[in-house]
Amino acid sequence: MSERLRESLSAVMDGEANELELERVLSHIEDDEQLRQTWVRYSAVRSVSEGAHIADLSMDVSRVVSAALSKEGATTGAKINAAVQRLVKPLASFAVAASVAATVVIGGQQLYQIGDKTPYGNTIAGTSPVGLINTVGATAVQASFGTQSLPALQPTVRMAYQKLARQRMQKYMQEHVEQAALNSPAGMIPFARIKKIEE
Amino acid sequence: MKILGSNVAIRLVISLLSVLLVSQVRADSCPEVNHEALAWLDKMSHSAREVSYQGVVTFQLGDDMQVMQISHSVDTAGTSESLTQLTGQGARVTRINHPLDCIHPGHKLLRLSEDIRAGARLPGTTGPQDCGIAGHYQFSVLEGERIAGRKAIRIIIEARDMYRYGYVMELDKKTGLLLKERTIGRGDKVLERFQFANISYTNENIPTDSVDVVHHASHPERKAHTGVEPSVDHYPAALWNPLWLPKGFMSTDDASNSAKRRTYTDGLAVFSVFLEILPRDIQPGEGVVRHGGTTSYTRGIRIDSKPALITVIGEVPVNTARMVADSVRWVQ
Repeated sequence: MSERLRESLSAVMDGEANELELERVLSHIEDDEQLRQTWVRYSAVRSVSEGAHIADLSMDVSRVVSAALSKEGATTGAKINAAVQRLVKPLASFAVAASVAATVVIGGQQLYQIGDKTPYGNTIAGTSPVGLINTVGATAVQASFGTQSLPALQPTVRMAYQKLARQRMQKYMQEHVEQAALNSPAGMIPFARIKKIEE
Repeated sequence: MKILGSNVAIRLVISLLSVLLVSQVRADSCPEVNHEALAWLDKMSHSAREVSYQGVVTFQLGDDMQVMQISHSVDTAGTSESLTQLTGQGARVTRINHPLDCIHPGHKLLRLSEDIRAGARLPGTTGPQDCGIAGHYQFSVLEGERIAGRKAIRIIIEARDMYRYGYVMELDKKTGLLLKERTIGRGDKVLERFQFANISYTNENIPTDSVDVVHHASHPERKAHTGVEPSVDHYPAALWNPLWLPKGFMSTDDASNSAKRRTYTDGLAVFSVFLEILPRDIQPGEGVVRHGGTTSYTRGIRIDSKPALITVIGEVPVNTARMVADSVRWVQ
């Protein structure tokens, strides 16, 4: 496994991966045994260092992927790609979008337990967290409000959403900054965040 | 008589015990509060409004560096301030005569030092004592470096949960003014930083030289002054609310249930939620853009079969934005 790939994996695990890095990891996960092992090891080390309870460490995402692949009898590259995307994308987009260790939620299985019964604020009763991520100290973190599942995004849809997010950021930034300037100790400085200030 | 005597004694013991217990609870309810840091934050909030100064500030967001001239003057009418970009667009933002008694929620949250020390219940809270900002961040105060020629003290601010970022602030040792701030993300990564390159504490008028774009910063209408309700934006004409907020965040203005924007702050971080009702169905999904410490998260969603687009923008981690967007519901 190249140093570059290792860095990309690390970024994915940290939720800091860009599109390129994500693609790099996804395109190698099927063929690279070492990458898969590193993936499992990273998450194990992280869980331990963060004091999380681990229900099942032997679980390997990529094995789930491989198993599903062979089940489908996918032989052509395209089929494999499609299957990998279908299976890994939810995890991957979860990782990128929500700073989530990708091994946490596999097929709806929750590997970590909530340490604190009420780790989050004004949440309504009766919702079950879909994804629970790493912890700092004793505080557990919920990764999703848990009532609306997010489907795997096709690459084109993902691109469209990326574009939409950029557009909305431009559209709403100034209105947000007006509030930030009144409510943060930096005074007017938040206005520096706006690419193009409108009169 | 003897029985009465022992009754009195028992009552006395019980009341003494309860006094002891109550004071114990009070002393322990905010155990790790760093009062020195809270006093500095309080002072910083006051000086941000009440001190006159001008200076040049550099702001680094990722690879992007912005330089701006800041001017802040105080007189009997209140504060007048301006920001003039010295790089990029070259726009100017001004705010004139902002009354000194107009304290926005973000600053109120920073000015609770005395209340927390006294064990008082914070406004709008019930139950056990709320430790305010100290309940959500952990502070340490150190000797700082020299910023813009001024001696500074350094406050290291670590989030107690993962729903907000950490900060390293350097305040002017004399005035308490925020001279430098770094926003710290996951893995101690500096997401953005700004600092004064020079500063002078003089009361000068805001610059009047011509620039291409002048924006007058907006301000929510003050009910007490105008007697007029804040103008309600009738789009999207549906009542909605996020059901989940990270602990300690409160609304920055009186946005009604039908307004298309809500903004929340915990005193240090601010994020806004925007809702658009869509005329037709949208394929569900999400998109994220990050720039410096700002996250912009857009989510296409169906809320009770009504398609909507939710955007959360603010200086919070993606996970927080996602959680908030996920929790938006119609209010019956």
